[in-house]
Amino acid sequence: MAEVADVADEPLEPVLRTVGASKSYGDLVALAPLDLVVPEGQRVALVGHNGSGKSTLLRLVAGLLELTEGTIEVLGVPAGASDARAVVSFVPDDPVLYDDLSVREHLAYVASLHGVDADLDEFDDLLERLGLLERADDLPARFSRGLRQKTSLAIGLARPFQLLLVDEPFAGLDAPGKEALLELLDEAHESGAAVIVATHDPLYVERVDRCVALRDGEVVHDGPATVENVLQLVGA
Amino acid sequence: MWTAPTADPDADLEHALGEWRRYRRRRRIAGVHWVDALYQAYITALIAAVALYLLTGVVGDDRLAPAQIADVVRHGDDWLGVAVALALAVGLRSGCRGGPLALERAEVRHVLLAPVDRTTALRGPVVRQLRFFAFVAAVAGTEAGVLASRRIEHHAVVWAACGVVFTLATVALAYGAALCAAAWRLPSPAGTGLGILASAAALAGALDVIDASPCAWWGRIGLWPERFDAWGLAAVAVSLAVLGVGLLRVGDLSVESAERRSRLVGQLRFAATLQDLRTVLVLRRQLALELPRVRPWVRLPVRGTDRFPVWARGWRGVLRWPIARVGRLVLLGVGAGLALRGVWAGTTPLLAAAGAALFLAGLEAVEPLAQEVDHPSRLAAVPGRRGDVHARHLAVGVGVMAVTCLLGAAAAVLVEPSRAAVAVAAVCVVPAALGGVAGAVTSVLSGAPDTEDAGWSLVPPEVAGMRVLVRSVWPLVLAVGGTLPVLAARAAADGGGSPWAAAGNAAVGVVIGFAVVAWWVRRRDDLHAAWKAALDQAFPDKRPRSEEVAGG
Repeated sequence: MAEVADVADEPLEPVLRTVGASKSYGDLVALAPLDLVVPEGQRVALVGHNGSGKSTLLRLVAGLLELTEGTIEVLGVPAGASDARAVVSFVPDDPVLYDDLSVREHLAYVASLHGVDADLDEFDDLLERLGLLERADDLPARFSRGLRQKTSLAIGLARPFQLLLVDEPFAGLDAPGKEALLELLDEAHESGAAVIVATHDPLYVERVDRCVALRDGEVVHDGPATVENVLQLVGA
Repeated sequence: MWTAPTADPDADLEHALGEWRRYRRRRRIAGVHWVDALYQAYITALIAAVALYLLTGVVGDDRLAPAQIADVVRHGDDWLGVAVALALAVGLRSGCRGGPLALERAEVRHVLLAPVDRTTALRGPVVRQLRFFAFVAAVAGTEAGVLASRRIEHHAVVWAACGVVFTLATVALAYGAALCAAAWRLPSPAGTGLGILASAAALAGALDVIDASPCAWWGRIGLWPERFDAWGLAAVAVSLAVLGVGLLRVGDLSVESAERRSRLVGQLRFAATLQDLRTVLVLRRQLALELPRVRPWVRLPVRGTDRFPVWARGWRGVLRWPIARVGRLVLLGVGAGLALRGVWAGTTPLLAAAGAALFLAGLEAVEPLAQEVDHPSRLAAVPGRRGDVHARHLAVGVGVMAVTCLLGAAAAVLVEPSRAAVAVAAVCVVPAALGGVAGAVTSVLSGAPDTEDAGWSLVPPEVAGMRVLVRSVWPLVLAVGGTLPVLAARAAADGGGSPWAAAGNAAVGVVIGFAVVAWWVRRRDDLHAAWKAALDQAFPDKRPRSEEVAGG
């Protein structure tokens, strides 16, 4: 396990607090009651099988899903409220993009919806790092899965946030894209944002402060973990 | 090092959203070719002209006699109220499922998750959708008014104006109710229940079971030229109030429902365009969050089921049906039973309604088979013909439909109990069940992608067009066929013969017809292969290009 920060020494303001947060669809439990506190600037890896509740948790925090029971607060306000939406950036595993906007326009549009007055070329550095600059004026709706994923990541990073939620970001990415993403996630963390990444990728687990493992909607581990621990915990 | 941009605390987010939306609209309009726009206008005008012609033919031109006009004034508002209640029910159901808006999926992800005021963000799409509904309603109201003026005194403009007010008030009520239901997160059973209650009350008012239903207030607007009534004004006020509340609360909609709806509605429209009934059914269930139960109603024993795996698999699926599906099947069964009771009483066209209800119930009943068809690769790994497995699935479908039709028969008998009614109903249960299953299984199998279908690409377009038509109508014809014993029984009763004996004879015909369908299900692949071989032999030079490539 590399670079495990000892968060106990210095209590930080929680950016995310869930109390008994659960989600069910009829009698199907997608997420069992969950208590979780994520301080500012912490890097968290969310690991677990398919269907273990990782995406459900991220979508609940982003405000895309509604809680069945419990509460989720982002910087003290309920998830999904306007103030929470202003600080939570969610990068889903299924990129959803406009058919009629180019990559640059997507970034400028979403940034403007968050109060950033950006020119179309404002984010060219970001696009270059993700290998998208040459396709910046193309319509991402026609891109491959990997390029759409990169566009979605760029959108998530091109707006203000204090909590970055990323769902399975490495799936479909090529090696340079993966490396660029890891660097960008590190830089987001260094700039003070809390970062929660749902992933199966051991590479990312090694870089985080904390690993939360879910199994069948329940937390089976919360704390530092090695790759071996994670593989054992989720039975991968 | 990358750092996230900083937000301007004084930024006007709603203004930015409006600017971007205008930019996108301008570009979209610029991309529409004038020939396409003209063609769309031409098609719309053509359809409207045909509809007007057909309606004029139905309504006729003869002036009504004073007694008939009095009858219209006495009952017209109640029947118009039934239409209002149905529109209200549709609105409530839509609202409970995250409607009436079906936003672009990216709008849900990027706009509704941004700190933009949701009421402001949604007002634009809501107004655009409402404007479209209002336009359609105004056209329909005008047409109805003009048609009414040909039968009843008063100037066409007066009738048209009242028609427009009536349809607009109805749209405002239904749309407003949908917005309110979505904003208040009304549970689906509650919305459906309210809709059914309003419709039942309106129908009871129309059938004089009760004095009048509240929905008749709206109906009175449509009769203003004959009799002005202040209750109509109250209806307009209520409609506007409901719409106003809905518009004010539009931002309270559930993002979860909006996203589910935005994802499914697009697919649903596409499937409907392709007349893919099975996909429409599956997507509609997803839209309604109709999930199988984790715990079955009754747990079947595992031992002993290995001798009849298809039968056991079918019942395991049926026993996990959610309550909504069970309730729908009961309603369809009772509806079919009551419609057939109407046929027995002399209203022959109700056969079509009964057939449609049985067909829809059949689509639910053959769900285990439909799932096999949805996933053809599963059976590809099983030794033997897939037709054998499909045919074995029919038994469960017939079993489910038999129970459904039994409920329908009970409802039909309870309307006016008699020994003859019981005897005829008892005889008609099995043929009705078989007809429903035959229609449904034909629809499900015909709509499935066909690995042996290449031969059809060789037939002339006229023949292919007819085939598409027959494939669309034939399942419904089969379902209606299952109800013919009722018609036979009625004819025998009218002629002084034994109704149940006549029904029994007709039932034998239905059973034979079902046996033919079952044989087709079993041997369908062989028939297609034979047909393809025959076509290949007849047109050796017209093999599909894909085959030539595959064959080198």
